[in-house]
Amino acid sequence: MLLWVLLGLMVLLSIGCCIFKDLLYVAVSLATISVILALVLFMFSANIAGVFELSVCAGLITVLFIATVSLTKDSDQKAETRLPAYFVPLVILIFIGIDYFIIQRVMHAIPPSVVPQPSGTFQRVFWELRSADILGQIGLIGAGVFGILSLFRITAKEKKHE
Amino acid sequence: MNKEILLLLSCGILLVMTGVYMLVLYRNLLRLIIGVEIVAKGVTLIFLAAGVYRQDIGFIQALLVTFIIVETVLAAIMLGLVVRAQKIYGSLDIRNLSKLKG
Repeated sequence: MLLWVLLGLMVLLSIGCCIFKDLLYVAVSLATISVILALVLFMFSANIAGVFELSVCAGLITVLFIATVSLTKDSDQKAETRLPAYFVPLVILIFIGIDYFIIQRVMHAIPPSVVPQPSGTFQRVFWELRSADILGQIGLIGAGVFGILSLFRITAKEKKHE
Repeated sequence: MNKEILLLLSCGILLVMTGVYMLVLYRNLLRLIIGVEIVAKGVTLIFLAAGVYRQDIGFIQALLVTFIIVETVLAAIMLGLVVRAQKIYGSLDIRNLSKLKG
């Protein structure tokens, strides 16, 4: 029952992201989706992924979003879409229909249960089986830092302009 | 199949579709990034459903941690690009980014 409520809230908040005009509300909705996702991860004993989701997605990304919203002009913060807002619930209903169709197909295509072959604890998988991922992650974080630094760098031309 | 797995899967697919809807129909760059983030949340739920189905949460957690880092770096770089685009073009409307045309 709790899972139904949490997942329903996630879907409602994602619809809210489409409807809300104020980008601050949208950013807060996204943060709430992350918090609920972290709770769902905790429910299924994925504690470490839950902690990452809570601290990084609900915390860091929200701060970045709010900083970006405050750095950009007010005139840009209006919902510009090719369809009016009242069209969104209709589209979501169509999505639910497609979703139902996909789930029906999945239910028939996938065997009801598999023989569990657990790879071990998170620590064993992360540090032993998928150790190459750590290098990739370090590379990604480095790329992110350099990307941000290059984007916020003030060029000589801009300095002269100031 | 377990009801919980189906629920996670259906909610994940719904979130992915909502995110794609935002990506296709909105013109504000910040909303497009939020669409990408919503797609990422849906993919996380689908990953979790796969982990619960295979009864291998340890493996899925390792993948999810990597995925969360990818998602964060992507969001950070895209937000940096948005600030830069706003500085150069004075607007966040993707229709105004005409200099990107080849």
